[in-house]
Amino acid sequence: MSGTEITRRPGRHSLVVSGIAGATATAMALVGGGGAAAVAGLGTLALLAGVRRANHRAVDAGGLIAFLGVALSALSEAPAGAVLLGTAAAVVAWDAGTNAVSLGRQLGAEADTVRAENLHAMAGAVVGLVTAVFGLVVFQIGPTRQPVTTLFVLLIAGTLLVVALNR
Amino acid sequence: MTEDDADEPGRPDGGRAVVDEGGEVDEPSVGPDDAERAAADPDERGENTVAGATDEATVSTDEAAGPTAVRVRSSRLRSTNHWVGFAALVFGAAGLGALVRSRPLMLAAVVGVGYLAYANTTEAPEPELAVERRLSTEEPESGDTVEVTVVVENVGEAVLPDLRVVEQVPEALAVTDGPARAVTALRPGARMTFSYSVLARRGDYRFEGLTVIARNTSGSRERELDVETEPAAVTCLAPIDATATVPLRGLTSPYTGRVATDSSGEGTEFASLREYQHGDPLSRIDWNTYARDRTLTTMEFREERMATVVVVLDLRAEAYVQAGEDGPHAVDRGIDAARRVFNSLLDTGDRVGIAAFATEPVWLAPGAGPTHRARARELLSTHPALSPTPPEGRVYVRYTLRRLAQRLDDDAQVVFVSPMPDETSAVIARSLHVRGHAVTVVSPDPTLRDTPGHRLAAVDRSNRLNDLRGSDVRVVDWAGDERLAEALERARRRWSG
Repeated sequence: MSGTEITRRPGRHSLVVSGIAGATATAMALVGGGGAAAVAGLGTLALLAGVRRANHRAVDAGGLIAFLGVALSALSEAPAGAVLLGTAAAVVAWDAGTNAVSLGRQLGAEADTVRAENLHAMAGAVVGLVTAVFGLVVFQIGPTRQPVTTLFVLLIAGTLLVVALNR
Repeated sequence: MTEDDADEPGRPDGGRAVVDEGGEVDEPSVGPDDAERAAADPDERGENTVAGATDEATVSTDEAAGPTAVRVRSSRLRSTNHWVGFAALVFGAAGLGALVRSRPLMLAAVVGVGYLAYANTTEAPEPELAVERRLSTEEPESGDTVEVTVVVENVGEAVLPDLRVVEQVPEALAVTDGPARAVTALRPGARMTFSYSVLARRGDYRFEGLTVIARNTSGSRERELDVETEPAAVTCLAPIDATATVPLRGLTSPYTGRVATDSSGEGTEFASLREYQHGDPLSRIDWNTYARDRTLTTMEFREERMATVVVVLDLRAEAYVQAGEDGPHAVDRGIDAARRVFNSLLDTGDRVGIAAFATEPVWLAPGAGPTHRARARELLSTHPALSPTPPEGRVYVRYTLRRLAQRLDDDAQVVFVSPMPDETSAVIARSLHVRGHAVTVVSPDPTLRDTPGHRLAAVDRSNRLNDLRGSDVRVVDWAGDERLAEALERARRRWSG
């Protein structure tokens, strides 16, 4: 006996959320040049395809490629603001995408997930923007021009601390 | 983001939007007053329905309840592996940034560290929920849709940023409209409501569980709970007026041939005349003959006896077969047939009982009368062994057969309702037959003829039925697209011809 079957993949709205974030990342990469934007756009498309087919790996790969596009734009001397925004957008696209896949697997395409997805994506966007602004401000008005390696070491330390905190 | 979509109820899927009713906690308290007033003044009902227009019926069924706290049956905390590998990406970006001395890339890594902190510093919340479940009706007719509305309230202190609720719908009920699942974020004291419809089937069903998955904001950790809610039950009895659609002659005439015995005596149908013997009642003396010849003759009538019939159901797991993907399976059709046969036999004045080959004993001793009919209806509707889902345990055929043979009266007839899926079912029919009970097999046909395999199964079954016919067992082969009455009529014509 079957009534309505559960479609184990995300609904259409998930594509919208990831699509908007991915498009933002692509637009930011465009500041750094057409090549970077192409890579970011390709990543976004792969990510959307992954969301559509409820494939975690494809979403991960798409998110990674989109970020690489943003990183490429950073290497071609794009302004820091655009890179930061692009990074945050790529992360939000990926985060919203994986969240949508998990929602699709647990609840199916028929369930109403709009509110939950929007909240999740917005929380991710806020975190990205706050850290981006924080980083930018500290970097611009910081007391000295530290060598990049110092910052690198600090970043590694911060990352390790955060990861270790969770263990 | 399209945030304004979030709370908009007018959605194409029929308004099943998850609505956060945090600000309207007093909404249900309007209900009881409303229902009370409606009950007090039936004349003013029209006015009141404006206020409680949406679901007056649901409000009146269990208005006072409101969400009640749930009991957690099991709880499991786990990582979603959502952010796994993200740290490596951050390292990579920072490293690359250091190598090529790109400050923007280093800043991008800073953003990554921010996300790592976001992902790793919170734990999945422990939801404390209260749940209310409203049913549009608790006693639907078979085939009705029952709308189930579930209200989930966050009664804890913590915000639940990502709460996924999956209703544990009784297995045999099909959800016809709206998913029985929802997701939302709930502030303390806020509620969410979702509703769905199920198609009522014969049986007794309890809604008493929810699966709840609560995630933290970043989605890195989740807690899965199996919670027990206040139970809500749906009882769906089989229709009572089903007899009218079965032409009684179809099934009973074969019996009257057997039942109206050849021995003469009291009765209504004239049989013969014989010489008067001392002691014959005056009412049976043929006065016409006496007037003509002045000899006393006595009229003989065919004696009619009440038949005792036991309807035996085949509820072994093997009998749960279905033609195609949709539609009722053979056991459902069989139980339906059993009900019709039961009712029509009862209407013709026979004593009817019910037995079954099932994992648990099913036995209703032959009887008659309205109480008996009600008891049978109850049994056929709600007995756990007659559930629409296949049984888990083993059915001990030999034991059941022996038990049944002991219980059957010597002259009891058997109507064996089975799709005849295997040789065992034929053995059952045959062994009842050799014990001296007249056996009629009513067999819902579950076979298809679309693939060679299906065709083989169909031929197998039809051979089995023919073998049975050969050993003097009556067989009603009831095709899927046919009404039972037609099948009975067709079989009756063959029997008499």
